[in-house]
Amino acid sequence: MAISAESSIRIRSKGRPKNSETAAASLAEILNLLRNEVAQTRQELERASQYGRAVVADRLATLSDLSLIDDTETGTATGGRAPRLVRFNKDRARLIVVALQQSAIGIGLADISGRLLTEHHESADLNASAADTVARIVTLARWLLSRQSEVRDLWGISVSAPGPVVTDPSQPFLAATPDFLPGWENSNLVEGLCRAFRTPVWLNSSLKTMTMGEHHGGVEQGHDTMLFVRIGTRIGAGLVSGGKPYHGSAGAVGLIGQLPAHHEGESGTLNYMAGAEMFRRQGLAAAESGQSQQLADILRRTGEITENDVCQAAQMGDPAATEIVTRSGRLVGGVVATLANMLNPDLIVLAGTVAQSTDILLAAVREAVYGASHPLVTRDLTIVTSRMSGSAGLLGAASVAVEALFAPDTLKEWIYSGTPVKHPKLVEILGEIDRRAKPQSPGDTPPPIEN
Amino acid sequence: MTIVGLGPHGEQASPPERVTLLPQDIAEARRRDFRVALIMHTMDSDWAKQLVQGVIGTLGESGVTVIETVNCAFSPKTQISELHRIISAAPDAVISLPVENTAVAEAHRKVTEAGIRLFLLDNAPTELLLGKDYVSLISADNFGLGRIAAEILSAHLPETGTVGLIGYDADFFATNERELAFARWMQINRPVLNVETRRFAKFSDVSTLTADLLSQHEDLCGLFVAWDTPCIQALDVLKGAGINLPVATVDLGAEVAASLATGGPVVGVAAQRPFQQGEAAARAAITELLGRKCPDWLALPGLAVTSKNVVQSYQAIWRMPAPNE
Repeated sequence: MAISAESSIRIRSKGRPKNSETAAASLAEILNLLRNEVAQTRQELERASQYGRAVVADRLATLSDLSLIDDTETGTATGGRAPRLVRFNKDRARLIVVALQQSAIGIGLADISGRLLTEHHESADLNASAADTVARIVTLARWLLSRQSEVRDLWGISVSAPGPVVTDPSQPFLAATPDFLPGWENSNLVEGLCRAFRTPVWLNSSLKTMTMGEHHGGVEQGHDTMLFVRIGTRIGAGLVSGGKPYHGSAGAVGLIGQLPAHHEGESGTLNYMAGAEMFRRQGLAAAESGQSQQLADILRRTGEITENDVCQAAQMGDPAATEIVTRSGRLVGGVVATLANMLNPDLIVLAGTVAQSTDILLAAVREAVYGASHPLVTRDLTIVTSRMSGSAGLLGAASVAVEALFAPDTLKEWIYSGTPVKHPKLVEILGEIDRRAKPQSPGDTPPPIEN
Repeated sequence: MTIVGLGPHGEQASPPERVTLLPQDIAEARRRDFRVALIMHTMDSDWAKQLVQGVIGTLGESGVTVIETVNCAFSPKTQISELHRIISAAPDAVISLPVENTAVAEAHRKVTEAGIRLFLLDNAPTELLLGKDYVSLISADNFGLGRIAAEILSAHLPETGTVGLIGYDADFFATNERELAFARWMQINRPVLNVETRRFAKFSDVSTLTADLLSQHEDLCGLFVAWDTPCIQALDVLKGAGINLPVATVDLGAEVAASLATGGPVVGVAAQRPFQQGEAAARAAITELLGRKCPDWLALPGLAVTSKNVVQSYQAIWRMPAPNE
């Protein structure tokens, strides 16, 4: 187990104001100015925070005692003595990030600036046993922690889950597993991770995390209004506006796969008409009818046609496969054009296996969007394919966790203890989870480590 | 054979046949006189030598000049300085095997920033973005290799006992995948067995780790080592102690092939096909340099090698007759 004891930190008492509420607020504000790189020297902090020199010096000393900042570097002198640089210590702790997909688990380790340090992805069937999947997540998380060259504290686990996740935004941490996927109602995902690692756990929809991952780490940077469209078995969208994710009233944003779509007399939801299932269905038909010799060969060899097979065949010039991909692109593009005319994004990112496997889909979406949009909407619009694959969900999960940990109201509650693990609300939640677990399953222990 | 693993960013695999060169492609490549540099983690293993032959031969057939083949000797520091040096030589493409994760990410990113197409072998540092920082990864299905090794070894293990897993103590995609897959297969299919993991940072640690496993676990009943070069050291320790344990590893180097052919202790090898991997990497580079899209992750399935097919497998992998022993 790679979680170290955190009890050795002593809080500096000298100069601390009597009003601890005010002190916590100013500590939180100064830490966030450093974390967001708004200020990097004492002078810049004084200017940005409007606190006096003595207050800034005192708060920096406290943050230094808590190992949350590093002030050992000096900057460039601009006449006189070189200023001492003050930086947020992103290596103070680590976050485990998990991305659950219908057919895969991704897991990674991130620092507390949200930077992804390492990741692993493997096939999994989320429709099979939820308990087995939770046990596998625990095993992989322990494996990742054991692989760190230096032991760091663990400050949280952020999970990206398929489907909408409805949570109470006023609560800093989850106390129970919200509904997010049929068959996972009694999975105790959040409770199991809390018990195994004694840290906060966050659960967000994969649309939200992937959108934020793409915003922070994607190919196109510097766009404040981004529409993210994922094309898989389900088709969904996420929106970043003013650099922040759009939540909607209940977190059920971007479920565009439910919209009706029509193609050559056939009707259904966009999921049915343009999603991965359509690729498999139409690909199989093309293979069985002999319309596509390439897909017929794959069917003979493997006994099935996947959406990846169709995309690869299209990329290699197979006409029937190209038609399937183009159809999906035009249908998705029609819906995306409506969203673009409404929201006026400056960047649209297409993601998901289907989008990443072939440029043909991108071309069809571009054609549909440019053909159906007001010139002002498309004037500065960029439409690209994501290059992040499963990393988007992991990076986004890290970004969401970092924002939650350092949200001013949350940060104020834990900053004097130096670790969110001692946040009063989390302590209460962990106690409650332990109490709930005891009578139900006395012999229940966290899942075993595999190696 | 199917690919069971996912790519370093969760990508689906594409078969190496996705990149083929037609006669007109080869003619066009010859006309354009491309230059490519090859940066290897080591040149000491049979695997590395064979892969380099596959790359250089295929590039040569298309008139592509290999301006340099660099041996980084597993050192991130060496790799960083060599990449900087290669950038100044301005090749059209670099084919590199990153020796670490975050430590060498920035140096690799600089290759692409200099306008040079970057192809990775076996390992993709986490921070490098596909399509932005590198073109494509060409590797074996390492998750599949770990699973093959577990399956072969399992047939030689008793009902209960401890299986030693000697992994590599570096954040390296290929060996991480092998280790996870081996442990996962055992956990699902042989849950009663205890898997004990040790990791080496350098080859010289392997002897000590093997001896530790032997002394600390009297019920040690089998051993998996992440690849053949460290496996040879583990075999020496077993031989020295007069202990005959079934051993499985990855890569059919000459010494483990001889052990396999002569009745052990190596009972199985999950073999990569380095020559074909080298050919695929070279074809991928030429495909991209000619302006066509290359798949994100080209993966080659592993081969299960036992004493029954060791001679034929040796021929198929190394393109030469198996040694007489």
